[in-house]
Amino acid sequence: MGNIRSHLMLCAGTGCVASGTAKVRIALENELAKKGLSEEIKIVMTGCNGYCAEGPVMAVYPDEVFYQKVTVEEVPTLVEEHFLKGRPYEKLMFREPEKKTAIPGMKDIPFFKHQVLRVLRNKGLIDPEKIEEYIARDGYQAAAKALTEMTPEQIIATVKDSGLRGRGGAGFSTGLKWEFASKVPSEVKFMLCNGDEGDPGAFMDRSVMEADPHSVIEGMIIGARAIGANYGYIYVRAEYPLAVKRLRLAIDQATEAGLLGKNILDSGFDFELDIYLGAGAFVCGEETALMRSIEGKRGMPRPRPPFPAVKGLWDKPSVLNNVETLAQISPIILNGAEWYRSLGTEKSAGTKVFALTGAVNNVGLVEVPMGIPLRTIIYDIGGGIKKGKKFKSVQLGGPSGGCIPEHLLDIPVTYEDIVATGAIVGSGGMVVMDDSTCMVGTAKFFLEFTADESCGKCTPCRVGTKILLDMLTDITEGKGKEEDIATLEDLGRDIISTSLCGLGQTAPNPVLSTIRYFKDEYESHIRDKWCKAGVCRDLTMFWIDEKLCKACGACLRACPSKAIVGEKKVPHKVIQELCVKCRTCYETCKFKSIKILPAGFEGDPYELIEKTAAGAKEEK
Amino acid sequence: MAEETRILVVDDELVVIKSAERVLKSEGFQIEGALGGREAILKMEQGNYDLVFTDLKMPEVDGITLIRWIKKSRPNIGIVIITGYPSQETMKEAIELGIIDYVPKPFTPSVLLDVTKRAVQWAEGRKPAEEKGAEEFPPSMAAELDRVIREYRHRPGCLIPVLQRAQEIVGYLPPVVQKRIARGLNMPEAEVHSVVSFYSFFTMKPRGDHNVRVCLGTACYVRGIEGVLDKIKGKLKIDIGETTEDKKFSIEGVRCLGACGLAPVIMIDQETYGAMTPAKALSIISEYGGPAFSAAPSEEDIETVAKQEG
Repeated sequence: MGNIRSHLMLCAGTGCVASGTAKVRIALENELAKKGLSEEIKIVMTGCNGYCAEGPVMAVYPDEVFYQKVTVEEVPTLVEEHFLKGRPYEKLMFREPEKKTAIPGMKDIPFFKHQVLRVLRNKGLIDPEKIEEYIARDGYQAAAKALTEMTPEQIIATVKDSGLRGRGGAGFSTGLKWEFASKVPSEVKFMLCNGDEGDPGAFMDRSVMEADPHSVIEGMIIGARAIGANYGYIYVRAEYPLAVKRLRLAIDQATEAGLLGKNILDSGFDFELDIYLGAGAFVCGEETALMRSIEGKRGMPRPRPPFPAVKGLWDKPSVLNNVETLAQISPIILNGAEWYRSLGTEKSAGTKVFALTGAVNNVGLVEVPMGIPLRTIIYDIGGGIKKGKKFKSVQLGGPSGGCIPEHLLDIPVTYEDIVATGAIVGSGGMVVMDDSTCMVGTAKFFLEFTADESCGKCTPCRVGTKILLDMLTDITEGKGKEEDIATLEDLGRDIISTSLCGLGQTAPNPVLSTIRYFKDEYESHIRDKWCKAGVCRDLTMFWIDEKLCKACGACLRACPSKAIVGEKKVPHKVIQELCVKCRTCYETCKFKSIKILPAGFEGDPYELIEKTAAGAKEEK
Repeated sequence: MAEETRILVVDDELVVIKSAERVLKSEGFQIEGALGGREAILKMEQGNYDLVFTDLKMPEVDGITLIRWIKKSRPNIGIVIITGYPSQETMKEAIELGIIDYVPKPFTPSVLLDVTKRAVQWAEGRKPAEEKGAEEFPPSMAAELDRVIREYRHRPGCLIPVLQRAQEIVGYLPPVVQKRIARGLNMPEAEVHSVVSFYSFFTMKPRGDHNVRVCLGTACYVRGIEGVLDKIKGKLKIDIGETTEDKKFSIEGVRCLGACGLAPVIMIDQETYGAMTPAKALSIISEYGGPAFSAAPSEEDIETVAKQEG
């Protein structure tokens, strides 16, 4: 091996693969060979970097220059500039949306600057398919420490003291969970990992499994040792083929290295690990349902107690931890509980990974200390709302969560504070919505999901979610009744209090939280037959304000159903009978001359607009 | 139904053939006769029959030999025995080979009609099922499936992995496959079905050569997957959960593909495609052999792009 001058860390996560990483890799290899640089510059395929939207992304070390949207066409210039001439290639660097100056260093890019990487400590730095690279980054040291220097009680005490709480949703203390299971005497126990990431809008577990599979395995070895389990399963969604492949490979490598199997590291401790593929049922994220599923049955939850710590998989004591929780374990064991507590708040310690998506400029995975304000995540890391639109709401916790409005953006992100808003931290899906989102439609979207995914065991959930959905559908179609809002709230609360598992107990949250913060939208849908966001087609009319129209013809050309008429210098007009309400004109107009009115509105539009504006002012 | 049923009566006595013909022809059945096993085989080689009524004791090629030949070469033909002296042994053998019924000789018209009608019902119920089953489920797949069942049979909780493998092998999980798995794993068919119907990963309808999975997750929803989905549906002329007539494509709606950073996302077979617009989606599908698609963006595409980019 010659002297390697630079490492090219090319992201090979699902996102970047979809954006064309494989082709870029071949192009890079060819180009480096052509320039005679193959010996000096090494390409490493890493796991998901988290900055998926700008993929394929690549970092050059030791220079620490970050490139995004690398294309095959740009590769020759990139190699020429950076590696022959030694000057970083600005064209592929990150640029702030407003300032337009290129930022070469990853650490200086706002998206990365505010993050603290603990779970994602190895992202983009190692090849996830090579155990040696994980080990070189202190991998399996914590497992060695736990197995050879610590008693199970000490492991549990450390995890308990760290304040780590389950990252899957409910936020139960991980150390306590382990303690319960460790105290139940049984020959056979199970250590399980929940990789059935089902929340739409969440992808941190996929990313961890793809980018750093060994960190999950190591966490499981430590957990298994703590509770005294000799068998384990990782339950992964079959929709994550790359994660499955990398986990399989990682298990094989760890077994070969003597880190799984019999007498691990000569400690006398045995642990066998296998993968179990989920079959697509959201309810299997619930622990008792997941265990039923591993048993090969319909994944339906059962009442607790008995808790899985006492009677879990095949009626044996079992512990189920989420992927992200497990990835937190080894640094805690290595650095101690105090170190972990140095970030976060008293009750919500450490860091949490969020999947930031939706209407923000920078989307991707972000790991932040708990307790930082939502605003920091959305505006500093996320770079604010796309196209300078107005923020409306941020949805946390997927179908179990809720929508948080602008005036609450300064609350700290902790389990308690988020629950107080009516949302939940959940697994960490964070979907930002701008003012072109209809909140009734959003609630309906989530209810479609839960009504479909309800396993059917509890009537309130099975039938109740369907009734909520029907009512929401009626409201979005202009068939809402005045008393609907109260009924939605009553029924929602009933479903919460009478369902067995987390799915039913949280399913009404999207409805309740949108009613709580956006009641006026429900009211305008029902009373005025007016969807102010212009999303519900039956409740929308697009109208051109002649005073603002510059007669530029942009909307006229963009309209797919040719429903807009007008000429140069003559203000345009929408022929309502032809309009399909696709919003195209609204999005096209640069002068904000297109207004959204209630469907079939016949009064004076100017009066209505003035009245609404006055009302909005009064509220403020 | 009767007029479409063709029956071959095999007996070494012409009078039996004639009397059967007299009874059954008036009911509209098409009757032909053969005076022995050899003639019967020759006739079946040349024409199609639904049912064969045969004597057991015949010179040269006897009834049992004939039944064996039918079972091997024409398994869809139903067999009824007409015999005067049923010895227990030959009857047992015949039943083991799989006959529908038997008519004692001499027979009354009503007994013959009765048995014939039952045999016709059997043949009608059986034929389409067998033909369809054979088409959906070739023997090589059955062998592979049995191998998987044997491999997993002794592992606890093996049903779901077996179903996943079975779906890989056959492409979907029709009742025949579920039945075979239930038998192989020694569990009630209802249990297998309950699991198949519970998980969205399993499908009981055949999928196309290429499965287009459209992500219906939150991020994709917020970024306009609905417009993309509408266009795909329109172009392939099928809805979610359906397969095109040429069996090339099927569309599946999935909850979240976990690639939210690239929203809106679709997945074709095992490949993920991000930042979809209707135009991009259709041109990718045409690369998979889908309906031709010109790259020039249509007005609708402009609309969706406008929506996405705001």
